[in-house]
Amino acid sequence: MKGIRVRLKGLAKHFGRVVALRTLDLDVRAGEMVAFLGPSGCGKTTTLLMIAGIYQPTAGEIYFGERRVEHLHPRDRDVGMVFQSYALYPHLTIFDNIAFPLTLKKIAPAEVARRVRQIADLLGIAHTLDRRPGQVSGGQQQRAALARALVKEPQVLLLDEPLSNLDAQIRVQARGEIRRLQQEIGVTSILVTHDQSEALAMADRVAVFSTGELQQFAPPDELYRRPANTFVARFVGYPPMNLLEGRYEPGAFVLDDLRIPVPPGHPAGRGWLGFRPEDATLDGDVPGRVTVAEALGRENLVTLRIGPAEVKVLVPQGRRPAPGTPARLGYRREHVHFFDASGRRVGA
Amino acid sequence: MRRYAAPVIFLLPATCLIVAFFLAPVVTTLYLSLTDISVITFQNPQWVGMGNYATLLRDQFIGRIVLNTARYVVLTLLFNVGMGLVLALLSSSVHQRWGDQLRAVWLLPRILPPVVYVLIWQGLAREAPYGLIGTITGSSTSWITAAPWAVIVLANGLVGASFGMLIFTSAIRAIPADLFYASAVDGATTLQTVRRVVLPLLRWPIMFVTAYQTLSLLTSFEYILLLTDGGPGFYTTTVWSLHAYKLALSQYFGNVEFGLGAAMAAVLVVIGIVVSVAYLRIFNFRALVAEPKIEVN
Amino acid sequence: MPLLPPRWRLLLVAIAALSLPILSGLAWLLLTGWFDQVHGLVPTGRLGPDNWRFLWEAVGGRPSVWIPLRNSLIFSGVVATVVVLASSMAAYAISRLSFPGRAAYLGLVLVLHAFPAVSLIIAIFFILRRLGLFDTLTGVILVKASLELPLGIWLMKGFFDYLSWEMEMAALVDGVSRWTLFWRIALPMVRPGLLALGTFALLSAWGEFILPFTLIVSNQNWLMSAYLQTFLGEAFTDFGMVAAVGLFYAVPVIVLFLLGQRYLLNIYGGGVKG
Ligand SMILES: Nc1ncnc2c1ncn2[C@@H]1O[C@H](COP(=O)(O)OP(=O)(O)OP(=O)(O)O)[C@@H](O)[C@H]1O
Ligand SMILES: [Mg+2]
Repeated sequence: MKGIRVRLKGLAKHFGRVVALRTLDLDVRAGEMVAFLGPSGCGKTTTLLMIAGIYQPTAGEIYFGERRVEHLHPRDRDVGMVFQSYALYPHLTIFDNIAFPLTLKKIAPAEVARRVRQIADLLGIAHTLDRRPGQVSGGQQQRAALARALVKEPQVLLLDEPLSNLDAQIRVQARGEIRRLQQEIGVTSILVTHDQSEALAMADRVAVFSTGELQQFAPPDELYRRPANTFVARFVGYPPMNLLEGRYEPGAFVLDDLRIPVPPGHPAGRGWLGFRPEDATLDGDVPGRVTVAEALGRENLVTLRIGPAEVKVLVPQGRRPAPGTPARLGYRREHVHFFDASGRRVGA
Repeated sequence: MRRYAAPVIFLLPATCLIVAFFLAPVVTTLYLSLTDISVITFQNPQWVGMGNYATLLRDQFIGRIVLNTARYVVLTLLFNVGMGLVLALLSSSVHQRWGDQLRAVWLLPRILPPVVYVLIWQGLAREAPYGLIGTITGSSTSWITAAPWAVIVLANGLVGASFGMLIFTSAIRAIPADLFYASAVDGATTLQTVRRVVLPLLRWPIMFVTAYQTLSLLTSFEYILLLTDGGPGFYTTTVWSLHAYKLALSQYFGNVEFGLGAAMAAVLVVIGIVVSVAYLRIFNFRALVAEPKIEVN
Repeated sequence: MPLLPPRWRLLLVAIAALSLPILSGLAWLLLTGWFDQVHGLVPTGRLGPDNWRFLWEAVGGRPSVWIPLRNSLIFSGVVATVVVLASSMAAYAISRLSFPGRAAYLGLVLVLHAFPAVSLIIAIFFILRRLGLFDTLTGVILVKASLELPLGIWLMKGFFDYLSWEMEMAALVDGVSRWTLFWRIALPMVRPGLLALGTFALLSAWGEFILPFTLIVSNQNWLMSAYLQTFLGEAFTDFGMVAAVGLFYAVPVIVLFLLGQRYLLNIYGGGVKG
């Protein structure tokens, strides 16, 4: 089986006066896994439900391959979906839950049983099939929901925070499983999450949303290396990128009376200067003072006050300056990020 | 149009029944009340405008019927609400097991078929030595003939009290335990607690039960019909709704006057509509109609 | 409300005393049904199976009791089925489907729920005659079912409101229509509501008196209530036999009450008849 290309064109959704999604253009390649990443309430679920056919778009078009689907009933769209609450049917056994989509298609019982067992084996829940959802663990429920979504071999798989109800350990394991399965069957998938490590680990490409709007759509490493604007820069990566707001003069970034030398390619006038804590050092030449030093395990996170701003610096384990000591901030020039006054990225 | 196929199908059976046996009857009642329809004119009724209402106003017995109705509604209501309150308070202040039993027993009169219930009353009210009440009072006539109003109010009351009882019980259960502890700490006795804490908090449920039961008592006549049939004697216990029913449908009077009966019923229907529309305002209606989260049917 | 202190134990006596009239009524029915002669609550005659002869012979020009019994069974069974189905369908639409006029429909249901339907009986008589359903079981069944609908819709809407939206979304994505969704997912999940409403409608129809009394004349279509009522109107009532008929008629109610008590306490508290 092969997934299908999914395109969203000018897609928008309003609930009365609430704008859940402003306009969204997105092109998901066949067989690709795309993650929607964004803060709570930014319209991720709304977008998925429009693709599934539960919500009617206020404007815009949805294509599966070359076919427009906005007017299609969910049952005619051939999508599978896993919900955050799993939404298993409590009055049916796990077997009947997984078989449910197949029984609707008038498939022979023997064939239904074969396919249910096959997918259950693949997901390691074969031994739970005759129990009810209330009698299996959260992880098993999650897999049952995934099995139910996949058993009908859909063209598109939609996953709405499928892992957020699992505890940390199973979660990392389930990430890998879902990814492996998705690549194996090659179904086009969209994963909604607000856990960035999940998005970065699982997806081929990540779409970062802020309230009602797409901010950037790119592969994980590009999001990290070349954030398109200050929102993405702040949102992706932990600890978050240092962003200083000030004024660019030729060859320098000016913050009150501090001058930070910058490499060429920077914008002019007001703007933002960004660098990640791991790209910052305490061996530079911008004067500051340590305010906090936290141990993160492998490294220490030092907070510096420079002029009016606070900056975080990741330093190797051995180094943990006491609060109050003076320090001199530096950063790796090749990993600097420039943003103009409106927050948009400037230069490579 | 296909979009609304589902709601139409789902609503169809209920809508047909409601239109045929609720909405159409309301209109029909009002219409009949403006005609002279009776057994004689059944096929070809004449329009008489407010004629029936004028007849009603002139009727020499109408005053008596209104008084009977008021007496029936007020006395039964007092019994229902008062008894409901007593039962709710009693049953919630003893161990749950006993409370549940008490409530179950009081629900029985409501659940028994009315005819069986009335039969029991007739049996108990018989003259000495047969009836229990007769035996106790030593009366040689049936209690129903001797004190028809007492029987009617009690018979309706035993059925009606359970409604208030159930509503008040759940209201009492919803009172936070902290309030009782607080009042105990303040040194209130049990009776003071009931008066100062419980009763004020039951104000709304009491008003609701009163309003609801006023409306249903005003229009119900089942038990009176079965117990005394409006007697004994001439109109002794005839209330508005029973009189309307008998005017229009009773098989005993020779001339069945639909129009006049319908006029009396129309008065009740109008009162019913006004009061029940008023309920909409009591219910927090907007919260009940939150938009569905699925937009396809 | 906290329990009362022990010195208030006398309350139990008060409670017992309050329940006395009802319990003695039931006791009277039981005793009178089984004995020749009862004075007050004291049987003075012999055990009298003779009271039950209505079971095998027609009494005083009435049809055999089995005819009204059969009618009553059909009547309550069909009424309960119609009420449960029509209410749940309408309630599902009001609770879960999006269509214009949804709020207005719910408003209408609420108004009708409070509205005293007995006041319509004259018009209903007239309408049934027009429909040619006067003096038929079908006619009374439809009327009785209609009058229970507002309560049923209101009750079932409350149950459907608690269903999870994600579950319904999942079912739609799995490929059902709303119709299949209703039967295969939504209905099984509101089972407690169906049981409560079903029991309530059964009891209410089984006891119904005014409607069949008014809308049915031929004794072949009598219900149990009408059959029993004919005994009450007699000049010299044979209380032994009437009580036996009453018992016969009331036993299913008591059984159903004992089975469905838990559901019923809720539904009667939800505002039914005064
Ligand atoms: N059915 C609805 N009616 C009205 N407003 C809605 C509805 N569904 C969503 N919204 C609003 O639309 C916005 C986007 O909601 P959505 O559920 O898509 O967010 P989300 O990105 O999935 O958030 P989360 O991460 O918390 O799940 C929110 O402001 C929400 O309140
Ligand atoms: Mg969401």
